[in-house]
Amino acid sequence: MSKFPFFQPHITLRYEQLGSVMLFETLTRREFSTIDAMLHERDYVKDELIFDVGEDSQAIYIVLSGAVSVSRRTNGVEEEIVRLQPGDFFGELALLDNAPRSAVARAAEDCKLVVMFRADLAALADTHIVLSSKVLLQMARHLAHIVRQTAMRTGATLHV
Amino acid sequence: MSEEHTITGAQQAAVGKPDWNAEIAMLDNSLDGGQDDARDDEKSDFDINQYARSNHASGPFVLLSVIAATCLLLFLFQKLLWLVTPFLLALILYYLLFPFMERLMFFGFRRERAALAVIIGFVTLGFVAVILFLPRVLLRLSNSQILIGHYVNGAVSLALSTVIALEEHFSVLAQAHLSRTLGGRFGHAAGAISELVEPMLIGVATWAPALLLVPLLAFFFLKDGQRFKVFLSRSVPNAFFETTLQLLHEVDRAALAYFRGLIQLTVLDTATLAIGLWVIGMPAPLALGLLSAVLAWVPYIGSIVGGFIVVTVAASAFPADPSMAYWAAGLFIVLRLLDDFLYMPMTIGKSLRIHPLISVVMIFIGGAVAGIAGLMLVLPVFGIVLVIGETVGLVLTNERLRARYLHGKYLRRRKAHLGLRFGTTRKRW
Repeated sequence: MSKFPFFQPHITLRYEQLGSVMLFETLTRREFSTIDAMLHERDYVKDELIFDVGEDSQAIYIVLSGAVSVSRRTNGVEEEIVRLQPGDFFGELALLDNAPRSAVARAAEDCKLVVMFRADLAALADTHIVLSSKVLLQMARHLAHIVRQTAMRTGATLHV
Repeated sequence: MSEEHTITGAQQAAVGKPDWNAEIAMLDNSLDGGQDDARDDEKSDFDINQYARSNHASGPFVLLSVIAATCLLLFLFQKLLWLVTPFLLALILYYLLFPFMERLMFFGFRRERAALAVIIGFVTLGFVAVILFLPRVLLRLSNSQILIGHYVNGAVSLALSTVIALEEHFSVLAQAHLSRTLGGRFGHAAGAISELVEPMLIGVATWAPALLLVPLLAFFFLKDGQRFKVFLSRSVPNAFFETTLQLLHEVDRAALAYFRGLIQLTVLDTATLAIGLWVIGMPAPLALGLLSAVLAWVPYIGSIVGGFIVVTVAASAFPADPSMAYWAAGLFIVLRLLDDFLYMPMTIGKSLRIHPLISVVMIFIGGAVAGIAGLMLVLPVFGIVLVIGETVGLVLTNERLRARYLHGKYLRRRKAHLGLRFGTTRKRW
């Protein structure tokens, strides 16, 4: 990838990397290029904190490479809930509400993450309705999957 | 869980202590693992969450730094006026045209095409306006010496007639021969002003071609603004990333609301003053209304200058009838009241967060540091530097974020030093 994505975005490579991520898999290449302009790329080293419990949630993170550990902190000790691999995303509730972060996310290995800022997605809804609804529908599917899994694990009856 | 992470006593210490070296040393211990640290951390949960959400306002140190930085920038900008002015104007144009571009994108235009269409529309409008009004403006400018002399004499005669009227009612003023003294002084001043204005107009005309850059810059701001924001955000460390992005987003929205409100306010001001001036029978009511509304963009001082111009024109157009000047002044005062109590809250609201006292002081400082250019540039420059200063102040005074930054820095340094020493298993330096 170019060192200067501001001047020369390598959309083909980006599309290959991110086109298969669940959030973006229904987007056409042209739609993806619109959303790609607002994606931030961040590098984290192993053990570095990505976000912490109680922090304001502003963005969703997508794992591009490496691994991320999402944990719950009990009595000062972090207990891993899930380990995320390339293609997974986390912090998605930030896109839906203003509630503070409820878990700790930490780089389990050196990793590269793609970040989508909530305000950018909200702005997208003002200008690109079809594109934003595709992303939000994928988000809803993802949350439905989580709800179903949780219900199956706990034995609760689902009415959704 | 294959690997258990612990938030350590070191991080708690980082929250409470300003000594960064000590923090790094303790972070070092923490990463090697330690039961004591784990015990410390059990007590630290509450503090961690409290600091995670802390959001202190910036203090007087930040404000003083911002003022100093603004002065320094204005001093430097004097040399680069040909570039700075188009840049700031392009930024204003970007905020003005952004809603139109958003609208086009909503109708299915791609960002690049929407930006191009909006800029072409603006340039076409500007071109038409130039074709229509340029001959008249050039004609007026060619007679600027005579024209300015005419208006200055009109203002002087208004001032003198007012003083003479006062002298007739107050014997103290008559004994002081105030009108005779002022007559002599104003006579010299009128000549000096006429001589000053012409070189000033020529000076402005020399760098006016640089204004052609404005639509070009605005086009690229519109087209690549989002990418540029992403590009700039790369310089922000991971720990401050989300907070900084949120603050910048709020500033962006506030600036958009401000410029949109400013245009609405200008239209309202122009219409009100133009109608008022037309009713009392003043010449060129629309031009005068527009001029004073645009001058009002510079808070406080701009309004005074605008009022002075309207009254001067009234005094020059009707030299035998001073009541016209008083009517014009009265109308202007009514407009200011409407502006402050009705129009301003309806349009701009409180989006301009600069305290009135600071605004006035900054205008004078700008004038002292960089002359007329300083007067014009000081508030936009101050606004931008204030935003940057407050953002930096906010993230740097948040001790939890600072501790996270240090932790990340430590991890990167440790990674960079891995395996440098021959035969060592523990990586220390």
